[in-house]
Amino acid sequence: MTVRVCIPRVLRRMTGGKRALEAEGTTLREVLLDLARENPPLALHLFDEQGGVRRHIVCIHSSTAIRPGEFAAHRVGPGDEVIITNALAGG
Amino acid sequence: MAVALIVGTKKGASIFVSDEDRRKWTQRFSLQGWSVTASTRDESGRFYAAISNPVYGAAVMAGDDLEEWRQLEAAPRYKPGDRGNPEHNRIAGAADFSGRYKDGGRFVDQIWTLHCTHGVLYAGVSEAGLFASRDRGESWEGVEGFNEHPSRANWVPGFGGLGAHTILSDARNPDRMWVGVSAAGFFRTDDGGKTWHPKNDGVPGETGQCVHHVAHDPSNAKVLYRQEHRGVYRSDDAGDTWRVIEDGLPVSELSDGHRCSFGFPIVLDRESRSAFVAPLDGDNFRMPRNGQLAVYRTTDGLRWEARTNGLPANSYAGVLRGAMAADQLSPGGVYFGTSSGAVYATNDLGESWHEIASGLPRILSVEAYIT
Repeated sequence: MTVRVCIPRVLRRMTGGKRALEAEGTTLREVLLDLARENPPLALHLFDEQGGVRRHIVCIHSSTAIRPGEFAAHRVGPGDEVIITNALAGG
Repeated sequence: MAVALIVGTKKGASIFVSDEDRRKWTQRFSLQGWSVTASTRDESGRFYAAISNPVYGAAVMAGDDLEEWRQLEAAPRYKPGDRGNPEHNRIAGAADFSGRYKDGGRFVDQIWTLHCTHGVLYAGVSEAGLFASRDRGESWEGVEGFNEHPSRANWVPGFGGLGAHTILSDARNPDRMWVGVSAAGFFRTDDGGKTWHPKNDGVPGETGQCVHHVAHDPSNAKVLYRQEHRGVYRSDDAGDTWRVIEDGLPVSELSDGHRCSFGFPIVLDRESRSAFVAPLDGDNFRMPRNGQLAVYRTTDGLRWEARTNGLPANSYAGVLRGAMAADQLSPGGVYFGTSSGAVYATNDLGESWHEIASGLPRILSVEAYIT
């Protein structure tokens, strides 16, 4: 099923400036894997070399912040919107 | 001739281009949102910039004109299952939300230096490692002889983590290279990267020397200048032995009581054979002594003299290891950036300095390119 994924501003250099992309999947992890597969410049920014989602990425789905440890089990539905964001830190 | 500077900051790159006299500069800002930790240019003229972000990791950008940058799809990365250094993971914040250190994996969190030689693009990274690309960054492979060095278990992270930050090459001998790691010391290969040997004889400490930066002339690669945590050294035998050269340099007491000249960058102007350092007031303070931002120059490789004309007397910022560069023009131009975002330039080997920018984010890297 297709969901709409909103891309953070810092990663839009890797999407040709697109603010949102479509991706396939039934869980958040599947959606991110499809996003990386279809948009290779994004891949190394979403997943580390050990195969995990980068540790400070957070996805917002249905107004709820979901952390990487929950991505594999968190289900999404057709037409849903997922916002990629991050744990806020720094100055 | 005109010079271009890629000044890498915590939040992007400031690109400067000079006039023919290297006095007037234009400036623009690029790669916003990314720390620009290193840059280089290959034999074809293509530029590479290393970027990183604490959330989204490290990558390499490539461009032909300093205006348009394209991210390369590949980047230096360790293999799944490589075991990491727990202390580096702690310093680099490699914990997930539960506070676990990713089960001890090894990650590339930053590219500290990029270096092109003999048709190969090299990257020195943290967690400390060396990677090579033979197709202009389209693919990368680890230099296993270095990354799995027998002494690796004894490598200890420095204050900024366990990073391979210095790569040097020999223009006449493609099999010889050097790599510096904080805080594991300085290594040399003479067989094209298969084996690496520590080269720290004369530098205090049994193991884990904290080399900060090393400079040389690739065409006369036996002479090396080294800014170490514990002082400034010179080698005349390609790193086999080292001796202190601090005559004229300010000496400070380190946290362990050792007295030496502390600092981070060291660069060499090849034509005049002048070396430049930016001393700081010891490892406790890490700022210019009494607020006088100072560069010291040696023209004979032995005796140093302060060159402060045009530098501020009220500066309490540091100069990081990658934040100084020489343009190799005649007379030599030298450029450096501070942790408070100012950039200084000289076009007469340090006789006079000019501020060419201020107000930038913390400056991580400076490289100069003749255009």
